[in-house]
Amino acid sequence: MENLTAKQKIVARVIQKDIAVTKFPFKETGALRGLPQGEVLRTIRQLLEKGFIRKFAAILRHQKAGYKKNALVVWSVPAKQIQETGNLFASFPFISHCYERKPAFENKYNIFTMLHSNDKKISSFINEMATAAGMNDYLILESVQEYKKASPEYFK
Amino acid sequence: MMDEIDKKILNILQKEFPLEEQPFLIVGKRCGISENETIIRVKKMKEEGIIRRIGAVFDGKKLGRVSTLCAARVPEEKIDNFVQIVNANRNVTHNYRRDNEYNIWFTVNAPTDKELKAFLKEVKEKTGVTDILDMRAATTFKIDASFDV
Repeated sequence: MENLTAKQKIVARVIQKDIAVTKFPFKETGALRGLPQGEVLRTIRQLLEKGFIRKFAAILRHQKAGYKKNALVVWSVPAKQIQETGNLFASFPFISHCYERKPAFENKYNIFTMLHSNDKKISSFINEMATAAGMNDYLILESVQEYKKASPEYFK
Repeated sequence: MMDEIDKKILNILQKEFPLEEQPFLIVGKRCGISENETIIRVKKMKEEGIIRRIGAVFDGKKLGRVSTLCAARVPEEKIDNFVQIVNANRNVTHNYRRDNEYNIWFTVNAPTDKELKAFLKEVKEKTGVTDILDMRAATTFKIDASFDV
């Protein structure tokens, strides 16, 4: 594991949560107060460049932003086609997450895709994927109830 | 309800957040509104719960963390207790009921593999639910939870 410097950790602890919605959020949020603003911004850019931060952005509650439906769709894909199919599924804009997982679900569903829809039926998106990939063995696991959704806290 | 300006703000904040001293001034300029109005609109969308937070999404793997997707087969009468015990752990980030015989699906993100395994063992012991699948990501093809609005 690569370690963050002490200065990077101070910034990381704050920005893993939520910045203030004010004129100068990078000097008006919690422990960032008192740090030079330019240094805070430089640290964030460094963390982005080094890949510690995937993105700095607003995170939405997608149901409230109009994306009412979501489903986990798992696919049974032959070993030789995993790479190609995974990349293909990842290219669809309505897919937020795409992984190969081990062990496979029910010993065969090895590609996991998370699909979000605002208007179109989930089934039409799935048909689009199935046709593009030439894959027809899949399971649709629709969410019936949300019990928890939180951002991980990496820095204490 | 969101209007067209709100939607434009959301798309910019999700995909091109300006890492500058006055980010909302820049976002406002791009939308043709003032910094103050931008701040008011963003605050409102946070209050309404459309925006969960504004901040960094860290790459857990790069930080040495271990994560997994679990699916558990939980009898109806044990669901409440099971969910309570699983959710109490701060390393659990998502938990959904899904329409399958494996009915409870949750993600865990732990500092070490040892800690992750210990947690799953503890859940099994405390709940009496023993059928919990631990499905690790072998290849990550995409992680991008941003949405065009």
